[in-house]
Amino acid sequence: MFSRPTTEQLLAGIAEQLRTVVSAEVQTEPTKILLQQIDQILMSCSRRAAHEIAWIYEEVDRIAAETGRSVGHPDSLHLDDMVAWYDSASRVLSEEVEAAFRAGDESRIAKMKAVLDARSAVEMQILGALDLVGRG
Amino acid sequence: MLNVDEMPARVRSFLGKVEPSWSNVVVDSYEVMTGGYSRLLARVELHHDGGHETLVLRGDPPADRSLIFTDRRQEFELLRVVGDQGVRTPHALHFDPTGEDLGTPTIVLELSRSTSFMPYVAAGGSLDGLHVRLAEALASFQAVPVDSLPASMERPSSWDAYMTKRIDAWRQASLHHVESLPVFHYVAEWLDAHRPPAAPLVLRHGDFQGSNVMVTADGQFEMLDWELAGIGDPREDIGYFKAVAQAAPPDLLDDARVEEFCVRYRELTGLNELQVNPVTIAYFLVLGVVGTVEQLVHGGGAWAKGENHLFNSVFNMSSVLFGQSMWLSFLGQLSEPMNQLAAAAKGGA
Repeated sequence: MFSRPTTEQLLAGIAEQLRTVVSAEVQTEPTKILLQQIDQILMSCSRRAAHEIAWIYEEVDRIAAETGRSVGHPDSLHLDDMVAWYDSASRVLSEEVEAAFRAGDESRIAKMKAVLDARSAVEMQILGALDLVGRG
Repeated sequence: MLNVDEMPARVRSFLGKVEPSWSNVVVDSYEVMTGGYSRLLARVELHHDGGHETLVLRGDPPADRSLIFTDRRQEFELLRVVGDQGVRTPHALHFDPTGEDLGTPTIVLELSRSTSFMPYVAAGGSLDGLHVRLAEALASFQAVPVDSLPASMERPSSWDAYMTKRIDAWRQASLHHVESLPVFHYVAEWLDAHRPPAAPLVLRHGDFQGSNVMVTADGQFEMLDWELAGIGDPREDIGYFKAVAQAAPPDLLDDARVEEFCVRYRELTGLNELQVNPVTIAYFLVLGVVGTVEQLVHGGGAWAKGENHLFNSVFNMSSVLFGQSMWLSFLGQLSEPMNQLAAAAKGGA
């Protein structure tokens, strides 16, 4: 397969064409808003495409380290298997968060919070700037 | 409602049934409106022998295009109740409950002549005193007697039972989603461990935000979109308003204005300083969004499973991502103030 341009570049390129060429031809307000939403989603997809597998690995490693629980391995590097593995690790994290609060263990709660903060930082990187187009 | 060729005749026929005194109705224009995230909206200009009318149709989209599922009949009944109680909101005129006439279950409203808040702000409208007007707007609908609200609205057995259910909604949203959402579990546990002093249950708008309020010619707030209304804690709508303002400013409850807001709100509602203060507002900034969040997450999950095809369902997941970052940050700062509040409440008990 051709690996370049990368998926990240292609998606960003499509978003740019929609923004600079297609948008000018659109007449109706609902479709203009839809295009702006598509632009934001495409840019998020572009950022995800570049790093998604690595981010999943990094976070699952962090979950395993901080919870002390085994999270296993993905069946393959195909995205469906990676996402299934990420979900199973997320369930471990959810359980550990609840257990920490129910034990009233402040140190354990702080550890889980740090894992969640790291997850959220990645999510904000994916999101970029949030623009609630179409509201109001 | 989206078929602009067919709708004028449908509207004319419907009005023939519900407004028999309007003779020779002519629909001058029918225009699909933007701004409604979950419902279809259209503006109708018409004239008849007695004069000119401008109406707004608010109807359900097709099931596979629905972002959220809410009850149009309940919304219509509520609109009539709050309108009769003098709450500023566009008057609900008619209802097509089955869609037999208008193609989908539809509420017919009068057109508001007020200015949408967000465009008002974007055009440089003055914010002076609007935080006080906001307190008055909230108090106006929260004063509607719970007994007068539609029978279809759930009546919680107690404040504690209500809070337990609202907090658990965070866990349930994660458990029913297409993947586990650990931040939701953290939020639920934290909220449960830091409950504020209780308050009487009241009518809750459920989506009280800058996009759902308008500014009247005399500088008051008018409320729109009651589809997520319910009976709940009075501070939820306050927290929710502030929460949305983090993503879509201005924040009328920022540090410079929140104390004055609280004073006016307490004055109108009779709630005390332990119940309503910047700390409890921050608590409800997180708890207050759960109703919307669970709907958005449900929509995103349904899209992932191929059960709906509404692009807004995907787009709205961005708001949830943004929210997660905000909730984690807020709760991190709020633990100690909530502990102090609990100690003060205990001391006064």
